[in-house]
Amino acid sequence: MTDRKGVSRRRVLQGAGVAAVAGLAGCGGGSGDSGANSIELLHAWSDGDGNAAIEALIGGFQEAHPDVEFAEEPVNGAARSNLDQVVQNRLQSSNPPSTFQTWPGQTLNKFGDAYDDIEGDVWNDDLKNNYLEGPQAQAQLDGTYVTVPLNIHRINNLFYNRNVLDSAGVDPSSMSSPGDVVSACEQVAQNTDAVPFAQQTSGTWSTTQLWETILLSTGGIDGYEAFINGNGNRSDVKAALDSVVALSEHYPSDASSIGLTEANTMVMDGEAAFIHQGDWAAGAYSNADGFNYGEQWGQVTYPGTSGSYLLNMDSFPFLANNPSPEATKTFLSYCGTAEAQVLFNAEKGSIPPRSDADVSQLNQFQQDQYEDFNNADSQPPSVEHGLAVSPGIKTNISSAFSGFLENYDADATADALLNAFN
Amino acid sequence: MHNPLTILRRRLRGRDARTDGGATEDGESFLSRESVRSAPFWLPPALLIGVFVYGAIGWNVLLSLTDFTGLGTPDYGSLDFENYVVAFQGGTPSWSELTVDPIWNSLQNTVVLVVGFAAVCLVLGLLLAILVDQEIRFENTFRTIYLLPMSLSFVVTAKFWLYMYNPQTGLINIALGAFGFGPVEIVQNPDLKLAAIAFALVWQFSGYAMVVYLAGLRAIPDSHFEAARVDGASTVKMYWRVIIPQLRTATVSALVVLTVFALKAFDFLFSMYGYQPGPSADILATRMVREAYSNGNWAYGSAIAVVLFLMALAIVSPYIYSQYKRGAL
Repeated sequence: MTDRKGVSRRRVLQGAGVAAVAGLAGCGGGSGDSGANSIELLHAWSDGDGNAAIEALIGGFQEAHPDVEFAEEPVNGAARSNLDQVVQNRLQSSNPPSTFQTWPGQTLNKFGDAYDDIEGDVWNDDLKNNYLEGPQAQAQLDGTYVTVPLNIHRINNLFYNRNVLDSAGVDPSSMSSPGDVVSACEQVAQNTDAVPFAQQTSGTWSTTQLWETILLSTGGIDGYEAFINGNGNRSDVKAALDSVVALSEHYPSDASSIGLTEANTMVMDGEAAFIHQGDWAAGAYSNADGFNYGEQWGQVTYPGTSGSYLLNMDSFPFLANNPSPEATKTFLSYCGTAEAQVLFNAEKGSIPPRSDADVSQLNQFQQDQYEDFNNADSQPPSVEHGLAVSPGIKTNISSAFSGFLENYDADATADALLNAFN
Repeated sequence: MHNPLTILRRRLRGRDARTDGGATEDGESFLSRESVRSAPFWLPPALLIGVFVYGAIGWNVLLSLTDFTGLGTPDYGSLDFENYVVAFQGGTPSWSELTVDPIWNSLQNTVVLVVGFAAVCLVLGLLLAILVDQEIRFENTFRTIYLLPMSLSFVVTAKFWLYMYNPQTGLINIALGAFGFGPVEIVQNPDLKLAAIAFALVWQFSGYAMVVYLAGLRAIPDSHFEAARVDGASTVKMYWRVIIPQLRTATVSALVVLTVFALKAFDFLFSMYGYQPGPSADILATRMVREAYSNGNWAYGSAIAVVLFLMALAIVSPYIYSQYKRGAL
């Protein structure tokens, strides 16, 4: 008995050993096979419009370049920060992916040395001539082209529910300053049962992007740029905070317990009049039945910021020590074409960063935004969405707003925001 | 092939035979010592734990002495305590262009959270245990109901309590409304934030304290209750003077588990507020993750982790020492 047992146990061990070796060999073989030429793209668009957009992009690329293999490995269930950690670990172990989804601009500082120059190979004259100045500046890290932006979400929007504004007697096109938004909110509060200004405050990000939008008005584009360069004018910063404080009187009473989805749904259901958001908010509207652009909802450039298109972008950078340098450059060049950007943005709800795209395939709202974009005097980068300031400063700014959400103390927060750069 | 078990058995038997022979250990070779012969049993787990637990802790301590930020590899050549000085005094460290705030605020919040949560949790757990111990009907059902929240993850309970605290539809505010209090802002209220988090954690873990106390109560012989009754003690007096003092071990072991849970309440806060719980609810764990993963200040994050580790050690080690003194270890 014992002998037989012993033998069988040994067999099991042998079997396990063989299996383990086979498994290891399989791994090695697998990566060997897909080695030289296949692109490993890491992204966090694992569902919704983001997923549809990346699939459209990759589908289009494979049609144009059937010879290039794709080893797409989405980081599932991931928020952006988790994707960054995955990339961080890969970079630490000198095993970078071909490219990954990241915000361009100052966020590139996070993995600064890990990027390589793609001027010429990818950033040729065609791209340089057709990206506007603002987005083009965001593709560079200290003057070197390292990444290809593939979409733009606008931050300085004010969305509204037309029925609510009609019954409140508010004409959205008549507003021309942040103060007018506050007055309109008062009018909504007086004349209707709806919440004037939908907002979520459990996280800091919505408040930060609202403040930066208003700063674009109180400080103008010069004041905004001075702030993101660390030379902000205190009175501009505080005036913008004061405006947020005034708006906060008109938030839903449960703003701290809800998220963006709930806040945005309030606008769709006619329970709220306005919402300030990036134009991803419109993505939810276009999926809703009986809630149409120009009929039930509309959008204005946030009053006081006309002429600016406040940028939030995603991009694919080129990593040094690239596992598939040629294939990656082919892919990034494709991402830089108008055709690819239209495919991607039609699903994503954002607009192409190239100014020569044929946007007739995009929906009416996107076409209007695209027209605004091409007519904008300036395309300033967003603070909250990582373009304008490096990650350490952004953390300080978010910390300042986490205090602001507790007490709405504009004075203390203005000091904290200016100190964020020290 | 020598089966280690057989060796051990033979060895023990051999010792028995020699008990009155006055044989000493001197003559035995190193290889036949009991500690060496039993090595196949204790050595592999000791090595694994040594490397993966204590090795990792040691590495983290070492990392906290470097200036490691961003990508690349840490430079172990120049070690200093700069990160700890910065952690307690603030200032601009050599590895950063930005000033770094000291950790006092999050340290204070952590201590308040741990003490408040653990105290309330223990009291509530004890009361529940005493009630459940009254041989009530459906005792098992109640026990399960009280214990269930503990089986939920922090992510679930954090989202759940976000709904509970909602000023319009949350149960807490509806209950307050029934007593005539207006809806109260809780989630972003600097005066209530930390208390609200502690309350939610109490809800989740008081069931655990109850189970530990219940086991302690069941271990006390009925005769103690009866003797107290015969001597004319009231119920309150009986529990206060006779029963609760006997629950010391249960209290200490529940306390250790609860405080360590509270120190690690990161997931709860992260699910509720994201990276920025705000100055009145920021604890060391959230600060640590922010420094490490938002800013890439790995060495400074490690220093905060070491502070957190020392706090946990300060709570656990007196317990282990007292167990050791009483020979229970």
